[in-house]
Amino acid sequence: MLRAALRELLAHKGRMAMTIIAIALGAAALVASWVVSESISHTLVSVDTRTDVGVSVQSLHQDAALTPADRDRLAALPGVRRATGVILGRAGVVSPDGKLASAATSMDLAGTNADDTGRMVTVAGRAPSAAGEVAINADVARRNDLAVGMPVRVLVADGRSEAATVVGTFDYRTLGSPSTTDWGSDTVPTVAFDAQSAPGLLGDRFSRIELATAPGTDLKRLRDAAERVVGGVSYRISTGPELARDARERATSDIWDLRFTLLPFAVLAMLVGMTVISNTFTILVTQRIRQFALLRAVGASRRQVRRTVLAEAVVLGLAGGTVGVLLGVALGPGVIAITRPADDIDYTVPPLAVLLGYLAGVLITVVAAYGSARRASAVSPMAALRSDATVPRDIRTRNVLLGVGALLVSAALVFATRNPNAGTASRIVAIGGAVLGGLGVLLLTPTIAGAVLGTVMRLMRQGGRPALRFGVRNAARDPRRTASTASAITVGLALICAFASLSASLSTLIGSTTRATVPTTTTVLQPGGGNAATLDPADLTTARHLPGVSAAAASRDMLVDVDYPGGTTKRRASAIEPEALNGLLTPHITGGSGDLRKGFVIAQNQADMLGLGVGDPVTLQITPQTSVRSRVAGVYEATELQSSIYFDVSLAPTSLRESVSVIYLTGPDPAAVRARAEAAFRDRPDVTVTDQQGLVAQGVEAQRLAFVVMYAMFAVALIIALFGVVNTLALSVSERGREIGMARAVGASRSLIRRSIRVESLVISLLGALLGVLVGVAVGTVMQHAMLGQRLSAVTIPLDLIGAGLAAIVLAAMLAAAWPARRAASTAALSAIAE
Amino acid sequence: MNQTTTAVRATGLTRIYGSEDAKVTALSDVSVEFERGQFTAIMGPSGSGKSTLMHCIAGLDQVTSGKVWIGGTELTVLNDDQLTALRREKVGFIFQAFNLLPTLTALENITLPLDLAGRRPDRSVVDRVVDTLLLRDRLDHRPSQLSGGQQQRVACARALVTEPEVVFADEPTGALDSQTSAELLGFLRQSVDDFGQTVVMVTHDPTAAAYADRVLFLADGRLVGDLTAPTADTVLDWMKSMERAAH
Repeated sequence: MLRAALRELLAHKGRMAMTIIAIALGAAALVASWVVSESISHTLVSVDTRTDVGVSVQSLHQDAALTPADRDRLAALPGVRRATGVILGRAGVVSPDGKLASAATSMDLAGTNADDTGRMVTVAGRAPSAAGEVAINADVARRNDLAVGMPVRVLVADGRSEAATVVGTFDYRTLGSPSTTDWGSDTVPTVAFDAQSAPGLLGDRFSRIELATAPGTDLKRLRDAAERVVGGVSYRISTGPELARDARERATSDIWDLRFTLLPFAVLAMLVGMTVISNTFTILVTQRIRQFALLRAVGASRRQVRRTVLAEAVVLGLAGGTVGVLLGVALGPGVIAITRPADDIDYTVPPLAVLLGYLAGVLITVVAAYGSARRASAVSPMAALRSDATVPRDIRTRNVLLGVGALLVSAALVFATRNPNAGTASRIVAIGGAVLGGLGVLLLTPTIAGAVLGTVMRLMRQGGRPALRFGVRNAARDPRRTASTASAITVGLALICAFASLSASLSTLIGSTTRATVPTTTTVLQPGGGNAATLDPADLTTARHLPGVSAAAASRDMLVDVDYPGGTTKRRASAIEPEALNGLLTPHITGGSGDLRKGFVIAQNQADMLGLGVGDPVTLQITPQTSVRSRVAGVYEATELQSSIYFDVSLAPTSLRESVSVIYLTGPDPAAVRARAEAAFRDRPDVTVTDQQGLVAQGVEAQRLAFVVMYAMFAVALIIALFGVVNTLALSVSERGREIGMARAVGASRSLIRRSIRVESLVISLLGALLGVLVGVAVGTVMQHAMLGQRLSAVTIPLDLIGAGLAAIVLAAMLAAAWPARRAASTAALSAIAE
Repeated sequence: MNQTTTAVRATGLTRIYGSEDAKVTALSDVSVEFERGQFTAIMGPSGSGKSTLMHCIAGLDQVTSGKVWIGGTELTVLNDDQLTALRREKVGFIFQAFNLLPTLTALENITLPLDLAGRRPDRSVVDRVVDTLLLRDRLDHRPSQLSGGQQQRVACARALVTEPEVVFADEPTGALDSQTSAELLGFLRQSVDDFGQTVVMVTHDPTAAAYADRVLFLADGRLVGDLTAPTADTVLDWMKSMERAAH
């Protein structure tokens, strides 16, 4: 029995290969995402955590930096062997060719003092020991082609720069879990100066003081003692073990974040793979009804027939799983290169990933084949005695009811969650609803196919050439077979349209706020290199006094705690000169006024999300000591990616006022202003002069990963769609040797057969494609709403991409049908009789 | 009614196809018995119900009313699993289109029913059947490597290998030429004479029917004739008289 099943598989190599590839694609996606997240996590976790620190005293804010006096007092505490101050200052390395070296850490936090606490491990050369010597982070050196012995220029605060020689490179061991919002947390520095020069270049105050302790010291008691020396909300004092635990927790949560980014690929690939596999099995079973009937007649029970089909599924699943695991392991490094281009990842293949690959391969195949197995076992033994045997059909009405039900529930879910200010849970509900709707359409496909093709057939009864009539009639005659082929195309094109709509909406979104807010006449100065870097306050003065500049303003961006009537949340806020919102920047005010002197000007979607309106009281907690309390003065139109809460810069604390994020300039002759600015900052690689267009491009670049993910999804969808189309068309034609032989026997010419099969494929793929576009655009609309926080109506439908996808799929379908059509046409008339 | 001499018995068999508005009565109150160790042919024109009768008494088709026994077992009260087991143990089938599994060898096809039942084949039975049907040197061949006559002999061996209560043959010579037909019918005859096998064969060929001990004639779903020790001529006469009666 099993033997017969296995031989049956081997006898049809093409069929087997198709199925195995479908399974392998799904399993490969799963294995690749698991291997990648494990490798990255393994690397993250294996970063050695520092255990050489007894207690760390960290300043949470630049205004509350620690002094040498603090250090000396901490050093005097009992049990402290030594207290070392860590300096954090602005530093950017300019390589010999004049470019600012790119680094993962913001320039403002990139400079430190060399010490022997063990936080820096020399990779090459040595630590800096004299003025004019620096050591550079090994990753930064590698990425920017900097080597020991090279002369570099190091940009420091106030626009000053220092010539230095690279004497060494180092790896950095971070303490605790670095945070982007707490100033003194241990970020990875780019440049280390020698201990004597550092205070002069970076400032003599410390972001953190590390206490090394004598063995046997009670660290908790020491921590409490340190709190009495430098206590308060501006400091975080932790013991070494606490920090190590933080670091481990952070790594674990990073790993899960990564898994959640990658797993949707796998799930998508597996779901689509499942439709391909279940199609294949449907056709396999249809082709072998007589065999199953024979088995039933000579005494095989229903269970035995079902098991035969499931055994085939298991074998195919194992084979597909093997290919999938190998493919997934092979693809892993590429995925890492795309998602983590900056990191040095140890590639590891955990046994669990291999197991998961096999499990997924076998499981999805068995699940996909189960329906077919049940249908096969329902074949009557009588069928063996007939020549017109058919597989018993499921009750169609049940599928229709389920399909209509799914569509209704889907519409209700999407409608209920249509509000763009909805939370994460309802966004997930919205996407779930959209997917449910897609499934509903798939369930209804046989009914739709029957209705549409039946109508077409009736319309054509009189006219039309024989090939056309023959082809359409073939497609209409068995709506279920037509639907199973068409649905492969529907799924593929739906995915393509959904991701095309999502990415088109995202790029529209990225550009729109910038285009609306920053006029083309405004020149923009930005810090170069590193994210969240700032410009020097002196630069604003320089820019303001450039000849031809009539207006200049600076925005200081920060994350703040927003206290509003509904609660507290973290949001981005920008401190800016009130006059800037009047021409230099042109936010589109939709409610209230744009006058910062009267209060905050807040983005429409933030206002929606927080339920704020003009006149509502809001408090911005900028630092633990500083807060700004005012009311909402106006609301401007902005999208989720680039929204901010503007407030008057004169209300911000001095240190923030000086950490300038962006400078905006304009004048009567905007081109001249830009030229002057470029000339003025020619020697400052840490300042980038740009404009509206540049900002839009940066926005797109910032979302690069999102686009890469979407294009990858797009590619996966396209490959699987093409594959499904070829597979189902080839199989659906090859299953009908007898029927075609019969047509040949009664006088159909080869070319008539060939043409009618082409017509049939065209009809089926057009039907599938149109349904796919409908489903895809609908799902894409919900996705952009749920993932980008837009209104449903704000979707951008990329007609060109969808048109291209449609054309590609239909073309592929035609090509896919070419081979089976040719083979069918060469069917000997005899084969109908010889069976 | 003596259980030991009756292999198959049916009483009041009625089979109606279709629903209210399109009823077709394929069998109408047919009662029949098949003696153990007897070769019976069922004949009748197309649409007379001869195939339906065979399907019903073989447990392949549901009856609308009436009862069927194979051996001592009443079929009409069995569920699908019990019917399957019965087919496996007590019934052998030979079809018109040989119906072998293309991926199995001749021997594997022959022992398939035992394989399905999870039983080890009885060597001596297999040997006897294989030798009777002259298949000894063909056992490793695939169906595609066998002639039509050889394939039908393999199908025949498959039906006999379980030593069933009854073998049902549905137009077994329909796809064979007269030479190979004669051989096959000879083997069936031999299995009845030498091993006491019960055989029920549906055919429309008087020459084939002449190999049987008894011929039943069906017309319009009713039993219209019962001929013992037939010859090709007596069968032909019967058929002619039926045609005349129909006109």
